[in-house]
Amino acid sequence: MAEARPATLNDEDVERFQRDALPLLDSLYGAALRMTRNPADAEDLVQETMLRAYRSFDRFEPGTNLKAWLFRILTNAYINAYRKKQREPQKVSQDQIEDFDLYQELKDHDPDLARTPENIVLDSLVDSDILEAIEDLPEQFRLAVVLSDIEGFSYAEMAEIMDVPMGTVMSRLHRGRRALQKRLWDLARERGIVKSAGKK
Amino acid sequence: MRGEKDGSDGGMKPRCRETLERAYLFLDGEGLTHEERVEIRVHLEACRPCYERYGLEEEITKLVARLRGGQTCPQGLRDRIEALLHR
Repeated sequence: MAEARPATLNDEDVERFQRDALPLLDSLYGAALRMTRNPADAEDLVQETMLRAYRSFDRFEPGTNLKAWLFRILTNAYINAYRKKQREPQKVSQDQIEDFDLYQELKDHDPDLARTPENIVLDSLVDSDILEAIEDLPEQFRLAVVLSDIEGFSYAEMAEIMDVPMGTVMSRLHRGRRALQKRLWDLARERGIVKSAGKK
Repeated sequence: MRGEKDGSDGGMKPRCRETLERAYLFLDGEGLTHEERVEIRVHLEACRPCYERYGLEEEITKLVARLRGGQTCPQGLRDRIEALLHR
C-alpha cells in the first residue's frame, strides 16, 4: 500500500528523498543486518527507518549529512523495536576484554609472528570470520565498530547517531575493537589456525 | 593498546604510553594537532614495539573495512520501499 505523501513535503522534497536517500539502502541494510543479525528483522528495520525518514524529511536540513541522519533514525528504531527481544551473545565477557592483548598473544604464540607484515593469523581469517566476530560483540561495542570501521563515520557523527557524548563514543569504540580482537583470536584458535599450546 | 615494559616498575616508558594512548586518534585521523601527529609518527618510526602494535591495530581495522559495501539491499525490500514512496 502506498504511503500518503506527508503534507509537509512538496514535489521537490519527494524527488530529493528518492534521489538522495534510496541510494543509501545498501548501506542501511548492511548495518541493519549487523545490528539485528537476522535478515527478516533487518528488512523490517530498514523499511521502518525509511518510512520514519520520509515522514520527517521536512526536518532534515538540506546540505547536512543525509547518511548520518538516516543512520540516526535506523539506530533509534533498532534500539526501540529490536533490542529488547534479542538475547545478547555471551561469547565476549566484559572483564576478559580489559585484559586482552592481541599483540602479546601473537608474540607468545610465535615471537616472529607479530612483526611479520603479512601476518599469518590475520591472513587466515576470511570476511565471514570477521563478520561472525563482529556479530558476537555486545551490542554497544558492535554498534560502535560497525559505524566507525565498516561505515566510516567520524567520532562526531557517531555521537550524533548514537546520541551519546564523544567520550562515550571513543570508549565504546576502543573497547569494541579490543573485544573484536579477543573474539578474532578465539576464532583463530577454534579454527585451529593457532594452537592452544603456548597459552598458559 | 599497551606499550613495552621498561623493566623497572612493570609499567611502560612514558613516551610509549603517550603514543599508544593516542594511537586510535592517530589511526582514525581524529582530534590531534599537526604537531601531535608528527610526534607520534616520529616515535612510531623510532620504537619497534610501538610500531608493531600500531601496525597490528591498523591491519585489523583494514580487515573490518573490507566488509564495507559488502551487502546489497534485497530487491523485494527495495521495491516495497519505492512503492511506499509512490503515490
